[in-house]
Amino acid sequence: MNTNRRIFLSGLASVVTLATTKASWAEGKGLIAILTPSHDNPFFKAEAVGAEARAQELGYETIVLVHDDDPNKQSELFDTAIARGAKAIILDNAGADATVAAVQRAKDAGIPSFLIDREIKEAGIAVSQIVSNNYQGAQLGAEEFVRIMEETGNYVELVGREADTNAGIRSSGYHDIIDQYPDMVMVAQQSANWSQTEAFEKMESILQANPDIKGLICGNDTMAMGAWAALEAAGRSDVLVVGFDGSNDVRDSILAGGIKATVLQPAYRQAQIAVEQADKYIETGSTGLEEKQLMDCVLINADNAADLETFALGA
Amino acid sequence: MRHSILLTAAAIALLTTMSGCKIVKNPDPNAEGAAPANQTDAERMGIYAREIWDSKVLPAVATHLVPLSDLRSAQALDIDAAGEKHGMRPDGEANPWNFAVAGTGTILEANTKSRAAKLKVDTDADGVPDVIVQLGPVIRGTAIRDAMPFIIFTNFRDQIEFAKLAGGLNAIAHDRLTIPEGDLTGMQVTFEGVFTFKNVTTSPEIVPTKLSFGGQ
Repeated sequence: MNTNRRIFLSGLASVVTLATTKASWAEGKGLIAILTPSHDNPFFKAEAVGAEARAQELGYETIVLVHDDDPNKQSELFDTAIARGAKAIILDNAGADATVAAVQRAKDAGIPSFLIDREIKEAGIAVSQIVSNNYQGAQLGAEEFVRIMEETGNYVELVGREADTNAGIRSSGYHDIIDQYPDMVMVAQQSANWSQTEAFEKMESILQANPDIKGLICGNDTMAMGAWAALEAAGRSDVLVVGFDGSNDVRDSILAGGIKATVLQPAYRQAQIAVEQADKYIETGSTGLEEKQLMDCVLINADNAADLETFALGA
Repeated sequence: MRHSILLTAAAIALLTTMSGCKIVKNPDPNAEGAAPANQTDAERMGIYAREIWDSKVLPAVATHLVPLSDLRSAQALDIDAAGEKHGMRPDGEANPWNFAVAGTGTILEANTKSRAAKLKVDTDADGVPDVIVQLGPVIRGTAIRDAMPFIIFTNFRDQIEFAKLAGGLNAIAHDRLTIPEGDLTGMQVTFEGVFTFKNVTTSPEIVPTKLSFGGQ
């Protein structure tokens, strides 16, 4: 373990941020590199943990790297994976446009990429792009939101980072449902860039300008948690909040009567599927599946929140 | 890269006759002969949906059409086998099956005022509705899109474009319907359409591709 780590670090031309570095020789099927955004968001940590566990079960070494949503850092990490001779890259990417070149570079170096969670805007470069059915999931969340709002009232929407397709698609799914109800009135719509702290600050100022809000729908759970903290601090825990992701934090809030609902993305399983497809591709030259695949999401509310653990729904 | 794929696809399209051709017309605004680039995703996908409706969507529905009662009998024996035999679904783990079904029944409830108008229909004469027919204009879900074997997510720019295609197909389904005036409750309705299967206890929410109304 220590030896591997030293070799790995000495192999790095430029210093990159490593969330964790783990290597195990196992049966020597080679190295799988796992790249995700920051593990500060437990969603991405669940992806990394799920991918790493499955890869090691299948006999691969793994390196787990984080790009912090910085395309330049992601590009350096691709160079690292290429230099290390990775057999495959599992990637939750740092931008639909900016990632295309990096995935192409890996492909040119003979390293297939398997994308999870977020798409890139080109087909035919990655081998697989497995993404949550965000549109379907957003519609589930919006239906629940409309239901608990009793189809009427002022509400706020916090959207994700604009460079991320998932921010747009979730907002689109929300509005395709909510806008059917003329008494649902959106009084503010702002991006909090998926960030908990940013959501806290945005919610504070939105609340000052619009004290008469009844609901809040968020593009992800970290923003829901940040906004919920702001609402609680302002004594407004009456505001009905819906998130998206299915994190344990929001699960606990739902069970405690705080946030009302979220939408589970099966992040852990999704990462495992990506590794399984990578393994099949490495061994047979094909996954046997279309490149882009959607995975349906599941509504989480007080009825089933107790069954949720680390982005997977138990029995 | 994408451009060269498009050109290749265009070249192949020129070399093949259009009937029976499996090539999906790529909706990219930069494609030669495609709509102007200032169209929104929704507009572009709406045009594409109209292009394929009569030539591909309706034939695919006809090919896979199964009487609803037959489907239910098959599902009562084995849900997975019924899906393999009659259903359609995109690649991916645990994607739900979509079915094209035909049936007839009595309208027990008709909500035609709502933007999301729908009929609750009793197809097995037990006095309880067991099918929902979505009339729109707001039609829920992505059943038609997901049932079409020739519509492949990989061929679309991203989920947003793909979602707008589902919306475009739903919109045409609504546009093609002729709904009689007045209260429809008690009337007979005969339908063909597509739905996404959830489970055997949830009434199918059918997006109709053909609808006709009989007497009381």
